[in-house]
Amino acid sequence: MAILLGLILAAVGFVIGTGATGLIRMSLGLPYWDTEMSWSLGYPIALLGWLAGVGGWKYWATEWFGGRPAISPTGVSRYFEFNNDHKVIGIQYGVTFVVLFLLSGLAAMLIRWELMQPGMQLFTENQYNSVMSFHGIGMIAVAVAILMGAFGNYVVPLMIGARDMAFPRVNALSYWLVPPVAVMLIIALALGGWDSGWTAYPPLSVLNNSGQVLFNLAVITFGVVSIISGINFIATIVYERAPGMTWGRLPIFVWGCLAGSMIAFFFTQGFAAALLMVLFDRVLGTSFFGATGGGSALLYQHAFWFYSHPAVYVMVLPAFGIILEVLSHMSRKPLYAYKYAVGAMLGIVALSGVVWAHHMFTSGMADYLHAPFLVLTEMISIPTGLIFLSAVGTIWAGRLWMRTPMLFALGFLFNFTIGGLTGIYLADVPTDLHLHDTYFVVAHFHYTIMGGEIFALFAALYYWFPKITGREFNETLGKVHFTLMFIGFQLIFIPMFQVGVQGMNRRVADYPEAYADTNYQLSLSGFLLGSSFLFFVVNMVVSWVRGRRAADNPWGAHTLEWQVSSPPPPHNFDEIPTIEEGAYEYGVPGARPHARLTGAADRA
Amino acid sequence: MNRHLTIAGVLWVVFTVLSLWGAMAMNPFPTVGAQEATLFDHAFRLMTYMGAPVFGFMMAALIYSVLHFRAKNTNAGAPTEDGPPIHGHGAIPKIWVGVTTALCLVVMIYPGLTGLAEIRADRSHDVEVKVTGSRWVWALEYPQGGFQADELVLPVGKRVKFDLTAPAGDVLHSFWVPAFRQKLTTLPGQMTYMYITPTQTGDGHSDAAFRVQCSELCGLLHSRMQLNVRVVEQAEYDKWVAEKVKK
Repeated sequence: MAILLGLILAAVGFVIGTGATGLIRMSLGLPYWDTEMSWSLGYPIALLGWLAGVGGWKYWATEWFGGRPAISPTGVSRYFEFNNDHKVIGIQYGVTFVVLFLLSGLAAMLIRWELMQPGMQLFTENQYNSVMSFHGIGMIAVAVAILMGAFGNYVVPLMIGARDMAFPRVNALSYWLVPPVAVMLIIALALGGWDSGWTAYPPLSVLNNSGQVLFNLAVITFGVVSIISGINFIATIVYERAPGMTWGRLPIFVWGCLAGSMIAFFFTQGFAAALLMVLFDRVLGTSFFGATGGGSALLYQHAFWFYSHPAVYVMVLPAFGIILEVLSHMSRKPLYAYKYAVGAMLGIVALSGVVWAHHMFTSGMADYLHAPFLVLTEMISIPTGLIFLSAVGTIWAGRLWMRTPMLFALGFLFNFTIGGLTGIYLADVPTDLHLHDTYFVVAHFHYTIMGGEIFALFAALYYWFPKITGREFNETLGKVHFTLMFIGFQLIFIPMFQVGVQGMNRRVADYPEAYADTNYQLSLSGFLLGSSFLFFVVNMVVSWVRGRRAADNPWGAHTLEWQVSSPPPPHNFDEIPTIEEGAYEYGVPGARPHARLTGAADRA
Repeated sequence: MNRHLTIAGVLWVVFTVLSLWGAMAMNPFPTVGAQEATLFDHAFRLMTYMGAPVFGFMMAALIYSVLHFRAKNTNAGAPTEDGPPIHGHGAIPKIWVGVTTALCLVVMIYPGLTGLAEIRADRSHDVEVKVTGSRWVWALEYPQGGFQADELVLPVGKRVKFDLTAPAGDVLHSFWVPAFRQKLTTLPGQMTYMYITPTQTGDGHSDAAFRVQCSELCGLLHSRMQLNVRVVEQAEYDKWVAEKVKK
């Protein structure tokens, strides 16, 4: 209902926005309608209408005018409107982004179908470019937001002993900005798409189809989501920790979210500004990036990568947190070298801001920039190495509990080792000059983001599924999902390194005959990988609806979220707990329980 | 614990050898068509040699742990037994930081910075070719002979300078010949320069490594923005130039 109202108000807002634009244009003697300008100005008003309709007015803004905010319903309907509860928002984020993940994955399947043979089969070149661009931005959005959006929101307040995030309404606002992003990208695709990838390099992004404008508006909105939820996480983790939750006792996943949020908060503006400049070039006739008007195409790349490289750490730092979390609880051992792992995360935050131009070694930027960015980029391997030390030290001599989340966590270690090592080839200029923009790069970032972060995502999904839904998942289906995904993943992305070095470049709708055999094999492996998600979807849906009731603490884990009921009560804790010990003191003689809970039955 | 470390140590060696063998078996390199390609292949191999023990270490630790430290009866109920309380406060993390830093410095300096210096060292040239990338064709001009060409023909063993550009109103393209292992963006309205020395004759009709391939997404026909490359003996090149000049 709220969504319908949101859509109606969005339509009204769009008419008002475009109408005002049209009137101003007519008063200047211009025609009423100009597609790109009308969209650009109609969209923000439509967005406000949408937010008001889905509950932003009823639950929030009415207060500003002396009204009284409505009380949120319980039951399933609360997931379909503005809701301040971090647990509701976590589920909203999770489900939305899993759907977007599956949609973008479907795009990947279509891409592999097209690339199965040389020549054009399924698509025209323009359709291919659009689907490829959609796959790119869709997956980037999923990767940036799903870990912190779903699990950060759901688990972090529980882990630190808080009743909610620091700014619950801002949290709800950040979620309700997401559906417009997804919808705009799909509309853009339906209206003929855009062919500049997720990177949107000008001058191409200034000269191509109008779908580009929708892309820019959507991604700028997404930037707002990132920034405001970044602030919210930082404030929550700094100010809402329960008594006794010192920095040295903070669960590592919370550290990962803090580090990722800092990056999202510091750097996202770069991308948003760059896209806004592209929009100005298109709509207002400025010339930031056009050579004819004295602009510089390279300027965009600097602004863009200034965010978009740190963005990969927004994706991966919470993933590191999840992995170390799962490894420690499921190896029944203290997290190895905890302080070094925390230091490594903060070190990555610091370094992330000074490595962006390694994406530009072949861009024609000044020669003197190559050496410093080579050096700084290689330095990232030092903190990343410490994360691996922590992981390996944790599983060594442990009591490894080989359940589905653990399998995904171990799979992460395998994949991220390959992803990390192949990154070195790309950071070194002499090798990057050949490898840049080839399938070697495609394989590398799929190993880090998909093999890394998405494996961590599934580790988290299976690990926290009993807590979030109060149900058990099917272990056999989980293991089948892992096995197919792990094997399919290796089979498609290992040969991609090879074909990339051989000379196949990326983002191509077609390729020379010489690469036909490998591509055929890649496509088959891709379909195998794709099929693994069927098991995942069936498992999640069936288990959520009719799985067995889960215990409060099926993993026997020490962290706070497992000490409350599954799913947790509306206000998390009857009384704020007191933290008395680290979160990972497994097998430590004389260790006290991590937390002391009062009010409810003391389960620790 | 010592027995565990010994077996894992042996596994480390085994996995290092296996990964080196795997990398060799993949042998991904296209035809070595230029001095710069030799440099690339060398640097690439070197990194593989250095990466293999790191990969082997991770695999040994991972696989040995999975096989040997697996808990029993993991499908029934919550775990009952905890592992040994190792916190990692000792010397190991410090040694680890030392080793990874050293490895990182090595890769940084060699083949990184030294390779960079080597690529930049020689800025002389015998042959000059002006390359203009516009949507979705490559235009070639040989300023020394004052003619244009519709395939890239180069003499073997001579140093070539490419003047790369794109028309001011066009988009970014990138000039890349896989056999030469170098690429550089053509910037609208600006000039960038790339130097290579072909060392091997070859023809794009029989070897896909000898093709100019646009390698910066440039819109509709990006994948088809290719041009044939022929590297020929000096005599044949001279003949080709003479014919071109006559026209």
